[in-house]
Amino acid sequence: MLRFPYRARPRKMSRQRLPEEGIIVGQEGRLQRLRQLVTGLVRYERIETVYQHCDETRGYAERLIHTAIRNGDQHQHTMEMADYWLNEKDLIYKLFDVLVPRYQNYSSAFTNIYRTPIVYPGRGTEMGILELKGNPWPDVLPKQRDNRYVISNVLLQAARKDYNTSKESRKTKNELNSSSENSET
Amino acid sequence: MAAPRIGNVLCRISNCNFTSVLLEKINYSRSSTCLLQIRHRQAFPPAAWYVKRKTTDLDENLTKENEEFLDDVMKDVYRKRLDRVFSPLEDGPWKRNEYNRYTRRTGVLAIKIGVVPQWTKEGKRFTTTMLQIIDNHVIRYTPPEKFMKSAGWKPWWGNKYGVAVVGALSTNPRIYTKEYNNLFMESGVPPKKKLTRFLITENAAVQPGTPLNAMHYRVGDVVDCSAKTKDYGFQGVVKRWGMKGMPKSHGVTKTHRRMGTTAGGKFKGGIWKGKKMPGLMGNRWRTARGLKIWRVNTKYNVLYVTGQNVPGNTHGFVRVMDTKLPLRKPAPDNPPPMPTWYPEDATEPIEEEYFDKDLFQFTEESVKFAEGKK
Amino acid sequence: MASYSRRILPCFWKTTKLLTFEDSARRVPCRYHQELLPTRNYLLPETVEEHRKSELSKHPELPPSITSENVPADFRFVYPEFLPDPQYDRRDSIRERLEREDMYRRRAVIDIPEFYVGSIMAVTVSDQYSPNKENRFVGICIDRGGVGLRAFFILRNVVDGQGIEIMYEMYNPTLQSIQVLKLEKRVDDKLYYLRDAPQEYSTFPFDMDPIPVPKGSTVPVNKMKVQLNPRPWLERWERQDLQGVEDLKLEQRFYDKAAKVAKPWEKYDLMKWYRENTNEEERDSIMQEVHQRKRLTDIEKSKRKTKLAERKR
Repeated sequence: MLRFPYRARPRKMSRQRLPEEGIIVGQEGRLQRLRQLVTGLVRYERIETVYQHCDETRGYAERLIHTAIRNGDQHQHTMEMADYWLNEKDLIYKLFDVLVPRYQNYSSAFTNIYRTPIVYPGRGTEMGILELKGNPWPDVLPKQRDNRYVISNVLLQAARKDYNTSKESRKTKNELNSSSENSET
Repeated sequence: MAAPRIGNVLCRISNCNFTSVLLEKINYSRSSTCLLQIRHRQAFPPAAWYVKRKTTDLDENLTKENEEFLDDVMKDVYRKRLDRVFSPLEDGPWKRNEYNRYTRRTGVLAIKIGVVPQWTKEGKRFTTTMLQIIDNHVIRYTPPEKFMKSAGWKPWWGNKYGVAVVGALSTNPRIYTKEYNNLFMESGVPPKKKLTRFLITENAAVQPGTPLNAMHYRVGDVVDCSAKTKDYGFQGVVKRWGMKGMPKSHGVTKTHRRMGTTAGGKFKGGIWKGKKMPGLMGNRWRTARGLKIWRVNTKYNVLYVTGQNVPGNTHGFVRVMDTKLPLRKPAPDNPPPMPTWYPEDATEPIEEEYFDKDLFQFTEESVKFAEGKK
Repeated sequence: MASYSRRILPCFWKTTKLLTFEDSARRVPCRYHQELLPTRNYLLPETVEEHRKSELSKHPELPPSITSENVPADFRFVYPEFLPDPQYDRRDSIRERLEREDMYRRRAVIDIPEFYVGSIMAVTVSDQYSPNKENRFVGICIDRGGVGLRAFFILRNVVDGQGIEIMYEMYNPTLQSIQVLKLEKRVDDKLYYLRDAPQEYSTFPFDMDPIPVPKGSTVPVNKMKVQLNPRPWLERWERQDLQGVEDLKLEQRFYDKAAKVAKPWEKYDLMKWYRENTNEEERDSIMQEVHQRKRLTDIEKSKRKTKLAERKR
């Protein structure tokens, strides 16, 4: 099961020009482009392209890893899929030997997706970053500031302590009352 | 902290250690001109009494523990109110009146969850729509005298009707404005995702804070369901009005799905008002009247209602009311629960499901026709 | 590493040089435009699901999910109609649950046996217009489909030289009994091509004796190949990858066109499969539930039988 929101309908992607086969149009061309992206993602663990393409690729990459985790490398259908989706065949070993053990116990999505700002002046395309989780690169997001000592957090922390202590004391009182009632009866 | 209008900024250029400055959910400075035209769709300024609902996206920089703490406090507060027992010292339970033929009860705000087939005891198949009632509470009641002076009153309503506001789907108050949350102070329930109002007669007044559930209706009652229809956007004449268009071939160019002539000649004089033309389709309030309740599930609060034509998509909000059709609305000699059903009314233990007497129950034996009967 | 930096670095320099908050004017619609834009007039399934579980009010407790059942691998092919309609905007957990509940109840009353496309079946329904208020039909199952209470199957036979097909709803209360005369599978999912085959392939006697399958054995697959009539046909069978059909004996141009129209890449489209089918986790959890309910009803049925036998004695 995919653990991130995906589109109910696939996006159409523009025609794809491949060096050997010329221009491929339609569904087939779309899959050709996605194959390139999935291969790149498994190879480099982080890619940067048009945001819409990142979003489409995400589903395919995650489904591939899901099937690999579920069926293992002795399964014919899974191996066919891996063979189709990974253009560079050494990556099939990486899929089963590196990615499957890495994501076996995950309860969240295997990838992250980010939007990058639009460059101005420029074409105005929305660019995005797609990465596999647990990759060796530095974080995409910068280190977050330590918010613990912001005044709102300090005040709330104190309030939390008070609230918990009062709750506990109320609980113990109730218990005492109930026990005394029991002893009377 | 005091968040700027920019919104949820993940980092700034100064402390960015990676390529791009990454922004998420940013409200950029909005330009004042509208660049795109959306035909036929009009934006009206909000009414004077309209309360702004959602707060702006605040970046409060709270730690995880503090977020959880706020959630805990919220739950404690509202759970106490859920188990509240009315004491006689405060405003006790309101008086309950008899049902008469002029009575109009409050409705409920349900969610359409799907369409399933059912069968009658004669083996005849028909479809039913399932409506689920989630978290319904009466939020406010305005008596007729007060309602007459308010802005939403129409003169032809006279002084017959008061207004009950009903809300569905309890939500987290932190995402709403203070003004909106204050609307729920009187009833003491958590703020609701959706509010609606029903015109009710004075004898059917319900106390604010009263929960409404599927037992508000009985099996065999007839209801009206009104909801917003599916939004199709801007559509052509073939889809919107079912016009025929023109042939696919035989020399037809560029007019396969267009309408023919718009107007007659001579004294008819040009295009008449109300000519059916392309435009926005759907997203309008429509009412399906006279739908019978065949089956009620009291555990999940689901009503099974005749037909597959309750307007709107799955998971759309549906206003369910007693029918206005004079011959099918509840008769005074068989009165419905007034003003609504309370758990203390139950004389027998409540069953999980109630079925209409004509409806086939799946625990029964197969339908068999007797000899000589047609 | 090299290609990584090639991908990323140019963007880095551009952004740091040129981009500030004020400059990065994304095309966000202005306020008036936002009001004009269409808003969704319904909720998403996930939102409704959240509210059903929210702790702000009281909700009915859902039965716990079952994980202890030992479900055989091909169990889901026996009960395909229990899997929900995968169309995203029609999904609703409560509706599916209640629908399944109805199906269990009906299955406890009448016996709906295991059958597949290609099995030969006899169905008895009550019919108020027939002389003895009953109608029995025998035929080969050429299709099976539908979801939930809408599940159906189609039987085909030839009566008096006329091909006849009847669609039966599996949960229709007028259905009195379903009997599988010959349990077997064919190599194709749908056998609509029997309409264009000689009648001998879909002729079955009404007084056919049931052929029992030994318990514990796998369901036999009938690899019979059908010789179709010459064209014209109801459908272009050469374009459907049919396994149970002899050579069609067409001109080469038909095969060329078929190869041109074919979509061999569709089976690799992982997301297409995912959108059109119930995913594996959900499928497993539903099958666990179905298996448990079936076990319990079987036990009850056997108890009832023994009671009846005791009474007769």
